[in-house]
Amino acid sequence: MASSRNSRKHGLTVQVDFESSDVYASLKSLLSEEGFSSFMAADIATSLLHYRRVMDAYYDTYTSPEPVNELMRDMSVTDSMPIFREMLSEPDDVRDMAAFFANMQRKEQRKGGPVSRRTVDCHKLIRYQRHAISRLPKAIRPA
Amino acid sequence: MKDSVKSIATLLPSPRLLPNESEVEFQSSLQGLLSELEKPSPLNVALVIQLNECLWWVKRHTMDKELLLHESMAKILCRADTYRDVYDNHVVSAALEGFFSGNASKKDKQWVNNLLKEAKLTVSDLRARGFKDAAKHIKMADELIHRQYQTMRHLQKSIDAVDFKSRLIKRMDLELTTFENNALAIDAKSS
Repeated sequence: MASSRNSRKHGLTVQVDFESSDVYASLKSLLSEEGFSSFMAADIATSLLHYRRVMDAYYDTYTSPEPVNELMRDMSVTDSMPIFREMLSEPDDVRDMAAFFANMQRKEQRKGGPVSRRTVDCHKLIRYQRHAISRLPKAIRPA
Repeated sequence: MKDSVKSIATLLPSPRLLPNESEVEFQSSLQGLLSELEKPSPLNVALVIQLNECLWWVKRHTMDKELLLHESMAKILCRADTYRDVYDNHVVSAALEGFFSGNASKKDKQWVNNLLKEAKLTVSDLRARGFKDAAKHIKMADELIHRQYQTMRHLQKSIDAVDFKSRLIKRMDLELTTFENNALAIDAKSS
């Protein structure tokens, strides 16, 4: 699935062991100093780091959408027929080749420009964002 | 702001800006939000930074909605018969951006007008058709904006919880001091 491909690219499907990182230890200690219990401080530190991880992936996704394949988007399949005929001897193969390129072109055009692409890509990360932020108020809630 | 208050914010990766965005503007919006905090603590400062980033994302996606419309209108214009060869969405999109914001060069304005003529469309027809074609993506952008608003609600809830906790600790401190004073007074009386 495209959404899981996208999240795999940013490692969001992989569980991260924040607890062994230095940042986690420093965050936890600062939160404990702020009066949170050790358990709550650990929970808040993990939630914050998890949220930042998703938002960083969101930024990367937004800033690097799949590039537009202009050659594919703008090519004229009809004008390319003589080239296909030259490459392939069987008329059926030529037809298949033309159909293949026409299909690829439709797909490329359907993806739209860079803004459409980054919108679609970011949209796939909505559920990761929802999950990451929902943990935070639960971790901070007053006992 | 005190260093101890800043500390969580410096430990967390900072929100990144786009190359065309102003760091000064981002910081000024952040300072505005921070000034709303009654008693800044390291945690609620970190939460306010996340909240400010959400506001930034709302701005970006709102701008994208207009750009999506431009992309779509550019596609329609580029498909107009004579200009079929000039299928450069990006160029037309940029020209349209200037055209609609009223700061297009004379040349771009003329070009867009010619494209409209070729496509046999008025500006409002083009906008309506563009909106229809981009509806799916515009809806997605709206959902991305909505997600940011929901995230902001969660962050506000978290900030409230931190404030409530600090108010609770302060109240308990006061009560403890009163108890201690009372106990001291009782001790003094009994002695």
